[in-house]
Amino acid sequence: MPLENGKLKELYRKMVTVRTLEQRVEQLVTAARIPCSGHFGTGQEAVGVGVSGPLRTDDYLFGTHRGFAEYIGKGMTPAEILTEYYGKATSLSRGRLGQHLLKVDIGVMPLPSSLGSEFGMAVGAALSSKLRGSGQVAVNLFGEGTAGQADFGPALEMASLWSLPLIFACNNNQYVELAHYRNVVATEDIAPRAAGYGVAYEIVDGNDITRVYEATERAVERARNGGGPMLLEFKTYRRGSHYTGDPGGYQPAEEIAAWAKKDPIDRCRERMLADGVWSEAEEQALRQAVQDEIDAAVQFAEESPYPDPATVYEHIYAQGGMSA
Amino acid sequence: MSQRKITFIQAVREAFQEEMRRDERVFVLGQDVQAGIFGTTSGLVREFGQERVINTPICESATVGAALGAAMTGMRPVVQIMFGDFNYMAMEITANQAGQWHYISDGALRAPMVIETPSGARGGAGYGHSQSLEAAFILPPGLKVAVPSTPYDAKGLLKSAIRDDNPVLFFEHRRLLTQRGPVPEEEYLIPLGQADVKREGRDVTLVAVSATVQKALRAAEELSRRGVEVEVIDPRTLVPLDKETIFRSLQKTYRLVVVEEGRRRGGFGAELSATAMDEWFDYLDAPVQRLGAISAPLPYSPVLEAACIPSEEDIVHAVLRVLGEEE
Ligand SMILES: Cc1ncc(C[n+]2csc(CCOP(=O)(O)OP(=O)(O)O)c2C)c(N)n1
Ligand SMILES: [Mg+2]
Repeated sequence: MPLENGKLKELYRKMVTVRTLEQRVEQLVTAARIPCSGHFGTGQEAVGVGVSGPLRTDDYLFGTHRGFAEYIGKGMTPAEILTEYYGKATSLSRGRLGQHLLKVDIGVMPLPSSLGSEFGMAVGAALSSKLRGSGQVAVNLFGEGTAGQADFGPALEMASLWSLPLIFACNNNQYVELAHYRNVVATEDIAPRAAGYGVAYEIVDGNDITRVYEATERAVERARNGGGPMLLEFKTYRRGSHYTGDPGGYQPAEEIAAWAKKDPIDRCRERMLADGVWSEAEEQALRQAVQDEIDAAVQFAEESPYPDPATVYEHIYAQGGMSA
Repeated sequence: MSQRKITFIQAVREAFQEEMRRDERVFVLGQDVQAGIFGTTSGLVREFGQERVINTPICESATVGAALGAAMTGMRPVVQIMFGDFNYMAMEITANQAGQWHYISDGALRAPMVIETPSGARGGAGYGHSQSLEAAFILPPGLKVAVPSTPYDAKGLLKSAIRDDNPVLFFEHRRLLTQRGPVPEEEYLIPLGQADVKREGRDVTLVAVSATVQKALRAAEELSRRGVEVEVIDPRTLVPLDKETIFRSLQKTYRLVVVEEGRRRGGFGAELSATAMDEWFDYLDAPVQRLGAISAPLPYSPVLEAACIPSEEDIVHAVLRVLGEEE
C-alpha cells in the first residue's frame, strides 16, 4: 500500500526526533553527563524509522546499537531512552540496561552487547509466534558488519526451513567501526546471501523513507500471511563517527558531502513541501515541539535519582529469592 | 506400590512426555531429537508431532539462541546439546544472554528453558566428546545447573527444570544413561536446590557430583569394611546449592571431601571448599580434600582417560587423608 500522508508525517516527525535526540545525547556524552559512549546514526534515520513503521505494537523488533531510529520508530519516548542512558532509577530497567534499549510490552526485544547474538533469538521469537499462532512478525535489524557473525547463516537457514515470520533487515551504512565495510566484508551486497538459504531478498534505497517503509510493509504482510522470511538490505551511510570521540579521519570528506545531499530527512521534507502536504509553518512547529519534548526529557533524566544500590540483588533469578 | 526399575534414558523420556502433555508450551529442539541420538527424546515426535519435536541445523549457538527467543516470548523450550563439550559453541548465548536478561531487564523478561546435555567420560570418546563442564556454568549469573546421578533424580529434576522460570543446564552423564534404577509410576518432582544423602555416615562428609556418586558409594563401602563411615551427599544441583544439607553433615563429621569428574582447577570442589572455609571454618578439623580431573585435555585411550579422572581408589585415599590416616 502506498504510504499515506498522515503516516508519512508521523515518520518524518520520528526522524526529526531521532536526529535531534542523538545530537543532544552526543553532547551529553561529551560533557560526561552520560557515562557510556554513544553510537549514533546521523544520515541513516530512515532505515530504523521506516522498518519499524509498518509493525504492529506486538510485533517483535530486535534493533541495533546504532542510534535511536528503530526505538523511536517502535514507540519508545525520548524520556525512556534518556533515563536508560543516564542510568537513573526512573528508567524502565531501573538503571540496568544503559544502551541496551528494551521495552517488552511494545515488542522492543533484547539488543545484546555481543553483535549478532540476537540472530538466534529473533528466530526463536518468530518460531514462538508461529507455534502460538499469534500472527506476530519478528524483525531483526543488523549492520552489514554484523552479517559476518556465525549465527547469521544458520538463522537464515532456520527461518527458511520452518518458514518463519521473520524479516532480516540489514542496515548497510558502509562502515564497520573505523573501516569501510569493503575492508572486512567480501561482497558489495549482503542481501544475495539469502538466496543460498532459499530466502527472498530485496535491496532498497535506505535514505528514502517511503521506500524503506513500503518494502518493509510488503515483507511484513507476506510473512504474516505465512509467506516466510525475507532479507531486506537498506543502502545508507553513516555520516558521523562510530562512537562519540573516535579519532575520525577515515571517511573521505567528499564521500560524507555526497551523502549529505541525499539526507533522508531533507529528502522527505522537500518532497512533502513539493507535494503541498507540508508547510514551513508546520516545520517550525514540529522543530519546536521536538525540541521541547527533548528538553523536558533531559531535565527529567537529570533530576531523576540514581537507583538504590541495595537493588542489585533483585531479579537475579525469576520467581524471587534464591541466594546465588 | 510398584518397584519398577527403568533406565536413566527412559526416566528422562518420561519426564519429557509428562511435561509435554501437561503444558503445550513445552517443546524440544536440537540435532536429531526426532530420532533421539541417545534415546532420551526418541518417540516423542510420534506423540507430539514435528512442530514440538524439532530437528535443527548443526549450529548450537543459533539453536540455543532460538530457544532463548522462544522462551522470552511465551514458550518453554528444551534444547538438546548432543555432547556437553559442544556447550562451548553456545556459551555466548547461554552465559552472556540467557542467564542475564531477566536481571538487566529488571524482571521484564524471563527465560524458562532447559539445556539437556549428555556429557562426561565414557572411555574412548576422545578429548572433545568426554568433558564434564558443569562447573563452567557456575560462573555466569542467572543459570541453574542440574547434575542427576540416578534415573529417579533425573526424572524428578528434569520435570522441575522444565517448570522453572530460569535457564537450567541439565547434565546427563553418559555412563549413567543405560543404568537402571527404581522410578515410581506416580508423578513426583524433585526441587532444584535439594541435595540427597545417598549414604549416611558419621566420620566424613563426601560430596560427589554426577557419575562420581557411584564411585563414592563404592568407596564408602570399602571404607566401611575398614571401619570408616562416610556420608555421601549428592548435591543434585550445583546452582542452587543446598548448603544446609552439607553443613548439617559437616556438623557431625567435621571433615569434608568433594569429588567431581570435571577439572579440579576452578571446579565445583574449589567453590565448595572456599564456601567451607568462608562459612564453616569452625567445623573443619582438617583441610578439605578435593578431587577432580587433571588440567589436561582428556586423551583417547581408555587407560589414559581413566588416569585423568578420579577413581574409586582416589576417593578412598582422599577420605583417609582427611582423617589424617594417610599423607
Ligand atoms: C560480538 C561483538 N564483537 C565486536 C563488537 C564491537 N563492535 C561494536 S559496533 C561494531 C561495528 C558493527 O558494524 P555494523 O554491523 O556494520 O554496524 P554499524 O555499527 O555500522 O551500525 C563492532 C565491531 C561487539 N559489540 N560485539
Ligand atoms: Mg555498518
